Amino acid sequence: MSLNKNNFLIIFFVFTTPCALGQEKTERDSILTENLEEVVVTATRTVRQLSSLPLPVTLIAKEQIARSGVTRLNEILNEQTGIVMTPDVTIGGGEGVQIQGIASDYVMVLIDGVPVVGRSSGNLDLSRFAIGNIKQIEVVKGPSSSLFGSEALGGVINIITERPNSDKVTGQISHRAASFNNQNSTINLNQRKGKLGYSVFVDRLSTDGFDLTPNQEGQTVNPFFNYTLNGRLYFNVSENLKAFASGRYFLQDFDIPSGTSEERDGNLHLRLDHNLTDKSGFEYEFYYTNYSTNEQTVDPINDEILLDNDFDQKLFRPEVRFNHNFSSDNTLTLGGGYNLETLNRSLFADEITFNSQYVFAQYDFRPLKKLNIIAGARFDNHSEYNSQLSPKLSARYDLNPHWALKGSVGSGFKAPDFRQLYLDFTNASGGGYSVFGKEVEAEGIQRLQANDEVANLAVDPNDLGEPLDAESSVGINLGVGFKKGKLRSDLNFFRNDFENLIDTRILAAKTNGQNVFGYINRESVYTQGLEVDLQYKALENLNLSAGYQLLYAFDKDKEDAVENGEVFGRDPETLETIRLERSDYFGLENRSRHTLNFKAFYEVPEWGANANLRVVYRSRFGLADRNGNDILDELDNSFVDGYALVNLSFGKTFYEHYQLQLGANNLLDFQGSNPLATQDNEQLINPGTQLFARLNIQF
Amino acid sequence: MKTTLKLFSLCTLLFAFMACSDDDGDTVAEFTVTAITPDSGTVGSEITITGTNFPDVSAINLTFGGVPATISSATSTQLVVTVPTGATSGAVTVSANGFTQDATTSFTVLANLVSGTMENLEAPQTGSQGEPAGGPFTKFSFETGAVTDSDTEWDIAFRGTTIAVNGGTVTGTNDEPARNGNGGAAIETGLFAEVTSAAGLTFEVDADGAFAIPTGSGEGWYNYNPATFTLSPIPGRVLVFRTHDGRYAKVEILSYYRDAPAVPDPFMDESRMYTFNYVYNPNEGETNLAAN
Repeated sequence: MSLNKNNFLIIFFVFTTPCALGQEKTERDSILTENLEEVVVTATRTVRQLSSLPLPVTLIAKEQIARSGVTRLNEILNEQTGIVMTPDVTIGGGEGVQIQGIASDYVMVLIDGVPVVGRSSGNLDLSRFAIGNIKQIEVVKGPSSSLFGSEALGGVINIITERPNSDKVTGQISHRAASFNNQNSTINLNQRKGKLGYSVFVDRLSTDGFDLTPNQEGQTVNPFFNYTLNGRLYFNVSENLKAFASGRYFLQDFDIPSGTSEERDGNLHLRLDHNLTDKSGFEYEFYYTNYSTNEQTVDPINDEILLDNDFDQKLFRPEVRFNHNFSSDNTLTLGGGYNLETLNRSLFADEITFNSQYVFAQYDFRPLKKLNIIAGARFDNHSEYNSQLSPKLSARYDLNPHWALKGSVGSGFKAPDFRQLYLDFTNASGGGYSVFGKEVEAEGIQRLQANDEVANLAVDPNDLGEPLDAESSVGINLGVGFKKGKLRSDLNFFRNDFENLIDTRILAAKTNGQNVFGYINRESVYTQGLEVDLQYKALENLNLSAGYQLLYAFDKDKEDAVENGEVFGRDPETLETIRLERSDYFGLENRSRHTLNFKAFYEVPEWGANANLRVVYRSRFGLADRNGNDILDELDNSFVDGYALVNLSFGKTFYEHYQLQLGANNLLDFQGSNPLATQDNEQLINPGTQLFARLNIQF
Repeated sequence: MKTTLKLFSLCTLLFAFMACSDDDGDTVAEFTVTAITPDSGTVGSEITITGTNFPDVSAINLTFGGVPATISSATSTQLVVTVPTGATSGAVTVSANGFTQDATTSFTVLANLVSGTMENLEAPQTGSQGEPAGGPFTKFSFETGAVTDSDTEWDIAFRGTTIAVNGGTVTGTNDEPARNGNGGAAIETGLFAEVTSAAGLTFEVDADGAFAIPTGSGEGWYNYNPATFTLSPIPGRVLVFRTHDGRYAKVEILSYYRDAPAVPDPFMDESRMYTFNYVYNPNEGETNLAAN
């Protein structure tokens, strides 16, 4: 550790001058180009070399994150091929991740292999996750329920934290200041001494927020601050028994005009790796997580509480895994576990408890020298809905050292969530409509009937409470990989078919003219397209990469209805009704047909300097149906034109330990315009250019 | 093939026979009028009159209730005429060469279909914010093409998003008008112009607990988009009504907001304000809805 007087001065500088920045000192290896050492754990739950996998996996290495100068998970994901962070502009602020056109609800997020909870209307806010202490981010595309169970339909994002590997105290202290008074301070310490290793991570972020509606009162994103604390312990009891413990705590507090809005997320993760022999071993894992929010809106005049919305979700999950290597290319993985989930929410009558048990098995083998096959399946038994069997088969055939064929077929499912099962909500301020979850709808309707609030039932009373099925998908990926010299490229065709998606339906009309809503399995949609990834080491110090995704995403029933001539639109000028053609149906909301990214990372080792340019483009997409036909069509005045975000950053190392980084995200100041905004109230899509500066002290 | 041959032979025989008869005498044969199809129609519609021995068209004088009509095409057995302006129901008379003959059935002149647009029909509603909906419905008569206060001479009525018909019984919400007519409603899908007849449709009536036009987003005539807070009439939904007195009309709702803006602003534009196109057939029991 090299904290001398000089360094303390620098620290002072860091925390008092909000225009300082930094950049980690890194090995110049795996920013973009292939590295044989690159291994991932998410695809198989065993350590596997990235370049030999049969299924599409995106790996984002620490170096790429550091050079890009971003600090939150959502920011780095948006720059990857086939991954789009969709601005939820209709609500404002919230962002959802989309993989292969599959919405955030169906993407699982893990930290070191264990799932995070706490979704708001199905959407997980990825800006919650600080990425200052991670080794890499792994993204497995396509259904992965065969290993991870519910929610892993569209893909799995796994944040892998960094292990300490030096007997000296190493780490970094950094501060990043950016537009909108965005201040992010990070301390990261690691040490490994003999059998014991530890890691401490503290991150504080605060910002004034931003406003996308300049003509309206209030801000789109209110000022907030958050803390992320993460402590990890590594203890090698013996050569064959290793223990790992991690505790993480996240607290976020929004400064809203009247009232409070708090968010807390805590995880406790324990793991024991027990090697029985050289070839086989057990992993025992205990995981507990608790996510809670507390929202209160008070009347600014008389302090009366107008809205009190609490949300408290807990998950306890023990899991055991067993691996046996018959040979180096021949691994059997078995596992089983138990989920206990509870939710206490203001909008629910009682605290709700789910429990489920699961077992899974996977066999990863090489029947031929050039052929790798991974076959796996998982069985989930759940207390509230039908049990699920999720198989998956992947294969890779190496034609020669340069070319490889890859294919995988897998299924995924998503359990009906708490809301869809137990919501018991009447919106008194929003017109008096009611929403009931499946498990409480029969009871709820009876209650309303007893109060003479039901005018007429829209469904057969005997159908009330018929159990919901899990939403399910089948995903196919077929690809070709090529690598030669300085070039690496991948082409992947994908098709995901979703069945039994849960939609709302009207259960009854109320005497107040409003409706009672319930949930039903109804929709089936598909997403299909292709992804192309190119990585090229143009010069010794220049890495280029480009990615493209072509996407078609449609609702099958609506597609049929349009083809049968049963869907109509309205001429926006004359209001005349027009029969829609197939080509008028644009597809699912918030999907761009084309997304592109281009990245160039350049280094000047003799100056200790680096620079990079990253461009992300997404083509036109639509936000909502506006002409009442319940599909997004070309007549809807609802489209956001295609746009590009250009990000640039420069870094330089001084005196070996200090790195200064300057950059701009959204350099071209794209702001866009929300077509749903009313005439006199302009709404932006993006708050505009964010400049940042970061100073990092590496020791 | 066989049929064609038979027909051909028959025609040849007939021709030969007629040619013979022509040769027989010098007097002009008396013609007959056997049928009028259809036996009713609006002014301007084409009617076919069949008979025998019609003379040359220049010699024929054809009247609808005394008003002369123009013959657009003629053979010796068939006349196609257009119902003249001013025609009245009654006998269709054909005279030529001193003979006058009435058709065996009389002809009914139908009133023309009425096409119209009702703009900004106000449909206020009380309650609904957790309270039962209430307030009087705004009643509309197709016959007058206007809002009416009559308790009996109304066909459809509006309150908020709810549409009542003057047929069946009250559904049970507050302040509903009494149903005392023979009204009903059917919901069709298609372009407005494609719905050309009310024949064969099943007409629902208001009943205890259920309006003939179902309430709720996506159920009846509108969709509500919670993302934009906008209520839009579902394009392609054509509402076909039977009026209180057994006539038929079709309606296409264009907008729920004042002055039917192309893209309504739910916060600025006044809602509960209907604009709709309609076509009304004022002839009792007539199902034709093909507007000219």
